[in-house]
This record gives sequence, structure tokens and C-alpha cells, in this order.
Amino acid sequence: MNHEEMGRPSQSLRLTFAIASVLFLFVLAISPLKDLLQEWKRYKREYVRFAQSRPDTKRLLADYHPGIDQIWIPNLNVVDRCSTCHLGITQSSLLDPSVPEPFRAHPIVPHRAQEWGCVVCHRGQGLATEVSEAHKTTLAWEQPLLPVGYIQASCGTCHRGETPETPQLNRGRDLLVDLNCVGCHRLQGIDRPAMIGPDLTNVGTKVSREWIYKWLKEPRTMTDSNGNLVVNGYENEEEPRMPQFRLKEEELRALSAFLSSLKSPAIEPYKFDPRVVAAWEKKPDLVQQGEVRFRQMFCVTCHSLAVTRAGETKLIGGDIGPELSKIGSKVNADWLIAWLRNPKSYLPHALMPRYQWTDEDLFKVSRYIQSNLTDPDLLSNIPALGSPRPDEIQLGQRVFLEKGCAGCHVIKGTKSPTDFGPDLSQLGSKTVSQLLFGEAKIPHTLVAYIRTKITDPLSVNPAARMPQYHLKPGDLEALTTALLSMTGPPATSGLAHLIVPAPQAAFRPAGRFGELYERYKCYVCHRFNGFGGTLAPDLSFEGSRAQRPWLIAFLKNPQTLRPALTSRMPQFGMTEEEAASLTDYLEMVTQSPSVNPESANPKNFTPEKASLGKQLYEVKYQCQSCHTIGSGGGYVGPNLNNVGNWMNAAWISAWLKNPQALVPDTIEPRRDFTDEEISALTAYLTTLKQNPRATGSSGKGGTPGGSQ
Amino acid sequence: MRQRALLLFFSFALLGVQFSCRGKAPSVQPDPMLQAYDQERDWNNADHLIPLNFEQAQGKRIFYEKCVWCHADTTPAGPSNRSNLTPTPALINDGSVLNPMTDEFLKNIITLGGSAMGKSAMMPPWGRTLSQEDIRALIAYLRVVAQPPYQPPARPASQYSVKQTSKEENPTK
Repeated sequence: MNHEEMGRPSQSLRLTFAIASVLFLFVLAISPLKDLLQEWKRYKREYVRFAQSRPDTKRLLADYHPGIDQIWIPNLNVVDRCSTCHLGITQSSLLDPSVPEPFRAHPIVPHRAQEWGCVVCHRGQGLATEVSEAHKTTLAWEQPLLPVGYIQASCGTCHRGETPETPQLNRGRDLLVDLNCVGCHRLQGIDRPAMIGPDLTNVGTKVSREWIYKWLKEPRTMTDSNGNLVVNGYENEEEPRMPQFRLKEEELRALSAFLSSLKSPAIEPYKFDPRVVAAWEKKPDLVQQGEVRFRQMFCVTCHSLAVTRAGETKLIGGDIGPELSKIGSKVNADWLIAWLRNPKSYLPHALMPRYQWTDEDLFKVSRYIQSNLTDPDLLSNIPALGSPRPDEIQLGQRVFLEKGCAGCHVIKGTKSPTDFGPDLSQLGSKTVSQLLFGEAKIPHTLVAYIRTKITDPLSVNPAARMPQYHLKPGDLEALTTALLSMTGPPATSGLAHLIVPAPQAAFRPAGRFGELYERYKCYVCHRFNGFGGTLAPDLSFEGSRAQRPWLIAFLKNPQTLRPALTSRMPQFGMTEEEAASLTDYLEMVTQSPSVNPESANPKNFTPEKASLGKQLYEVKYQCQSCHTIGSGGGYVGPNLNNVGNWMNAAWISAWLKNPQALVPDTIEPRRDFTDEEISALTAYLTTLKQNPRATGSSGKGGTPGGSQ
Repeated sequence: MRQRALLLFFSFALLGVQFSCRGKAPSVQPDPMLQAYDQERDWNNADHLIPLNFEQAQGKRIFYEKCVWCHADTTPAGPSNRSNLTPTPALINDGSVLNPMTDEFLKNIITLGGSAMGKSAMMPPWGRTLSQEDIRALIAYLRVVAQPPYQPPARPASQYSVKQTSKEENPTK
């Protein structure tokens, strides 16, 4: 190399520099290019073109700006960038389904997107600016979007009580209670009740070993005389609370041996009055008379029976108590009579009321149950088990604990395990990486995991102890929704104040009323100040509504005039004193502040007023479309034939003024009556009286919805 | 030297290609029922499920509380009061009767009752029991379950129509 050339770059070096600078320029260009090609920018450009094609362009583009949009709600700690692409989300003119996504407006819901953002309900990643990261699970972003079919789960994360707007969530929460999930799992917002499954401390005095074997193998199946399965508890809505466990033959034998050996304290047979037995034993229609009594007492309000109509077998009746079609083949005769006389002596937390029986009724009804509500083939396919051997009993006791039976059933002297199954109170906030899918061929999402875990637990975990549930499609979705709503404590302190707690109501009166209230289990069907069942009318304001003599007569002999009703108040056989004590309390305590007893003075109700009221009732307002007087009218509202004896005039006029103030969910619409009209209608209605001896003295109940 | 430069170039090119070709996740056809807040079975065809949005679902709830007793042939309690009434009330899904009625007319007859609109006085007024939103939800529900299906009046969405609907939201009390 000569010296002139020194210091001059060689040819190859120039070339390298040239390539390097081109490459450098190219690399510099990558970043702006990438930025220009971003997904969200594409949607922004598309939106502008879309808005220009609409007649209200100006309005649609009023808030448009080309950068990233976000909804920031500091006190919820929400930062949502969803509106960067979902640009028309708040535009009321883009509600139509023909508007292409992602520009369609959000349908009308109680919480507006501007105030709540999107991820509070829809989940997903509010901060992400790419379609897949915002909506799906990726490596870094774990929270996928919740399918809209399960969106009610998000309502449930804050609204811990019942909201009428979310039927699916409410159904799911009811199912969690009905299926006794708290027996094994810890659940958010559902407390362990005093009793889940029956106490088995002396179940050996109630049923035979063979029956236990059959029940453990296939709870609630029914076969006709030809041996064909007619009712399968798993395939209709009457699913038994007891799920089907996967038990091996030896486990079935061991458990049935163990349980049938539990016989203390023994049951002392009830001694009937020998005169009653002598008088009734020989009567050919003893069983028929028993059936008549069984029906008159309205046992079917709580218990169902299998009824075959037109070749189809169905369970008809209530579901508060167990189905009784085969009860005569199940329980032992002495146990049955002891139970009917005092359910509490066998199960301290029984829901069954304690009836006042005469010896005659008890004899007739128990005979009817033992001879008619039977199935001779019930135990025909059960192998001969013999008397339990000590080794079987010992194994049975171990199986009882290992299978988690003690989660729901108490046996005195056996320790119940706590938290037998996994804690589910935060299941809804689990991320996919926290779930074990095993060999299951299902999408790796939380929703699919929960659904599979309920319907086929073994596919996710071959060692699962969880029984299999056979739910109807709608119920499976509802249950999944309720489980998804259990997200534990709120993620941020900003969200904590949004939690709407479930109301805690209890009504446990003391004194004589409290005693009778417990004995007749009034709260199983009736509601008092938000506590109790919904099968029968709410009695929170019964004292303002009903007249004392009517109430006493009703309690002693409940009647209804609605042929449509399958359920009605059972005949408890109350004594005069009991009916009077209950009535005294109700008249004194259950008064509505909206009903002023002074407001309606019967002296003002002249015959002229009453006839004006009759005219208003029949012509102007046509109340007969829903109410029956005499033999004509509708049957949406209660029958008014005896309303003059039944209701207080003050209640009637307060009701006409504003029915929802007295019974918030009544279906009677609030009308625009003038005071004059209310007074005339009240005058007319108070004249409607029936001879108390006439059959079917009065209808009961405010609304069809409330009394079914 | 040249080889090394080429190698450098290709590695950059590869990097660029990698950035620009990030695969899109395959799109799965979503189950339409998973996209709906609630659903209703078509009364004429048990296999046909109609997806409902939030508003329509609220209409369904109110319908089954208040209206079902006279506007359906079966009710949650069993028998219906419909056959008991003359004139017989329309079934809620009867498009042949309800489709020709405008939203405005339906809103008025629900709010004010039958007698105010020249129909049977047996239809009570619900304006003091149900809110305006409830009534709008009911209309949305009956429109979506209508058989034959309801076709909204063909009117292009315009600024004028938008303004008109916003006026309707403030009812004169």
C-alpha cells in the first residue's frame, strides 16, 4: 500500500459503509412503519370512512381524535382503552345490529360505559391495544373476555344480593344452595345451613340395609310394573339433592352395612288407642279414607307423588319435602308414625311441621302410606345382603369419611371434615394458568373448565371425588354464571365500596307465637319482613289486611277457591287456642304503616256509595277481568266473594290507592282512582260477605305469583 | 467482508419479517347464545331460541310478572285467564296483530290502558306501576318475539330521527 492511499477508505470499506447506512435507514423506518400499521389505527381510519357514509357524520366524529382513546375512572381504578377501536360505543344512532363491529353502540344497560368502563363487566384487558391481547388469553395478558352468555356473573361480583334483572345469576345461586354445594366447598355469600343432608345418627331405625344400598347406587329412579324406567331423577328437573357417587360394589355393601347398624336411640312403637284400632281395622275403606285425609291435609303442597296421566308419569306436588311415591316401601312402620307425630324428635332441623293428629287420622293416613305409596319391585334387583358383618361396618365407616359423606350428613360421634372440597369462593377470578385441565379435550378457558368440572369431573381430574351432576342446559349455564361471579374480595380498594351486600333478614319471634311459628314452620312457605319462603303470601302486614274472626277460622280450616292451585295451606288441626294466639300476634305486630285503621269509617259506606262502587267495578274499571265475584270473572287476582269478612276496610282503601306500597311485587296495577272512587269501591267490596258455613269461604293470597 | 454484510442484511430483513407477520389467532364461530344476555323459546317452535339483549330480557321478566296472565295461553301458575276474557287479548308474540301497531301506540296503550285508546277497558293502565324504561323494555321484548317477525318501519337513520327519539325520552307527565 503506497502512502497516498493511506488514510483513504478502501473500496470494500466504502461498500460496507454504504450497505450499513442503507440498513440503518431501513431499521429506522421499521418503527414508524410499525406504528402506522397498528391494528387500532386501522380501525380508526375505518371508523372515519364509516362515519362519512352515515347521514350524521358530524355527530359521529364530534369526539374523534386520532390517538388512543381511554376511559379513565380513577375511583374505580379503571383504565379502559376499548373505545380506541369501539368508537361508536356511546352513539345512540349506531345501536342497530346492521352497524358493523367494532363500531356498534352498546345496547342499553343500567351502567353506562362512560361511567363504568368496559372491563368491569366484560373482563379482558383494558390497557391492551391489540385485538387479541384485549380479548383473549395470551402469555402476558391472562384475563380473557367473558362470553356475553355469562355476563351476569359480573353483575354478581358487586351485587351480592338478589337483583331481579339477572335471572340466570339468581337461578345459579339458587342451584348452589339446592344442590348443597356448601357441603364440601366454601362459597362466597352462601353460608352453611344448620342441616344439609339428613342426620344419619340413627338411620338404621328408619330404613333397611337394602334400601340404603339401592339409594346409594341409584337415587330416585322409578320403574313401572314391567320394569321399565319411568322416572329417572337424573333426566328430569326433579333431580334429587343426593348426587350419584361412583361407588364400587364393596363400598356399597360396606356403607349400607355401616349405616344400617346405626340404631340408637331405638324407636318406641306408638300405642294407638285400642278402640280406634278396633273400629277402623275391619273397615274395607280404611285405605281410601286415609287417602282422602292425606289429600285434605294437603301434604302435596310440599311433597310430590308420581302420577300417571295419559301414559306419561310425572311427579306432581311441591319440592320442599321429599317425593313420597314409594315411601311405604322405604321406611319402617314404627318410624313413620313417630316421624308424623313429631319430626323434630328424629331430625332437630326438620322443615316438616308438627301436626296435631287425632289417633284416628294418624292410623288412617299411616295405613294409606304403607299400603298405597309403595313399590313392590323397589328392592327386587338388590342382592341379598344379610346382616352387617363387623368388618363391613368398619370399612363402611372409613368409606363414609373418605367419600366426604360427612360434609352433608351428620352422625353423632363422627367428626365432620371441614372444607372437604376445594375453596371456590374465588373461582371466578382464577386465571387459566391456575387451572389443571388434565387430559380433557376442551378449550382452555375458565368457563369450559367450570362446565366440564360439573358435568364430567373425571375428565379433568381422574382422581376427583366430586360426584357427577346431570343438569339441564340452562341450569348448567346458570350454575357456571354463579360460580364465575365468585371473585373473592374486590381487586382494588376503589371497587370495595361498590359491593352491594346481600340483605341479612331473620324473623325468630319469641313467646307463644314463636313456639307455634316453629311448630307449624310458618316461615317455610310464608315470608315475614323479608325472611322466609315465597310459596305462600307474604305475611309482613297480615294484621292490617285480615279481620280477626276470618283469620282464626282460616288457620283452623284453610280454604281456597282457586281451582288452579295445586298447593295450598295444609290443615294442621290447630286448636282454638293456637289459632287465637297466632291471630293475636299477627293482628298486633304485623301492621303496615301505610294502612291507617281510622281512614275508612264503615259508617260512611252508604248503600248509594256501594252501588256506585259496583258500577265502577263492573263498567268503568272492569275489575272482573281478573277477580271473581259470584260465579263470573277472572282468576288472576283473589276471589272477592267474601272480601267483606276477610279484609279490613282500611286495608282495601289503602290497597286501591297504592297496592305496591303494601305488597311490592303484587301484579295488581296501581290505578288513578280519585278519593271518591276509592271510597265507593271500598264501600262496595265491604258488602261482599258469604255465610261462613258455605263451602269455600274465601280465596287467599295477593297475587298468583306469590301463592303458587 | 461482503458476506458478513449480506448476513447482517438478511438478519435484519428476517427480524423485520418476523415483526410484520405475527399470526392472527384463528377466529372461531361464536355460539349465538353465548353472545346473548338471555333467551326466549319461540312459542310456536320449541327448537327455535330467540337471543335477547339486556333490554329485551328485562321486558321478558316484566312480561312474565305482569302480563303473562292474560297475554299467553299457559302461565307460570298453569292455566291462563286469556280464554276468560272477551274480547280475547292478543298473544304477546302474535305479530299479525302487534306488528302493525307503532311503538308509540303500544307505549300509550300500556301506559294509559285499553279504554283510553278505544280498546277494551279490561286492559288496565300500567303507567303508575311500570316505569317508562320498563314499558320500553316490554315493547322491545314483544318486538323480538313477534311471529311473523317484526320489521321496523323502513326509515333511514338520520339526524332528524335521532333527535326525535331523544324527545320521546322525556314524556310529559
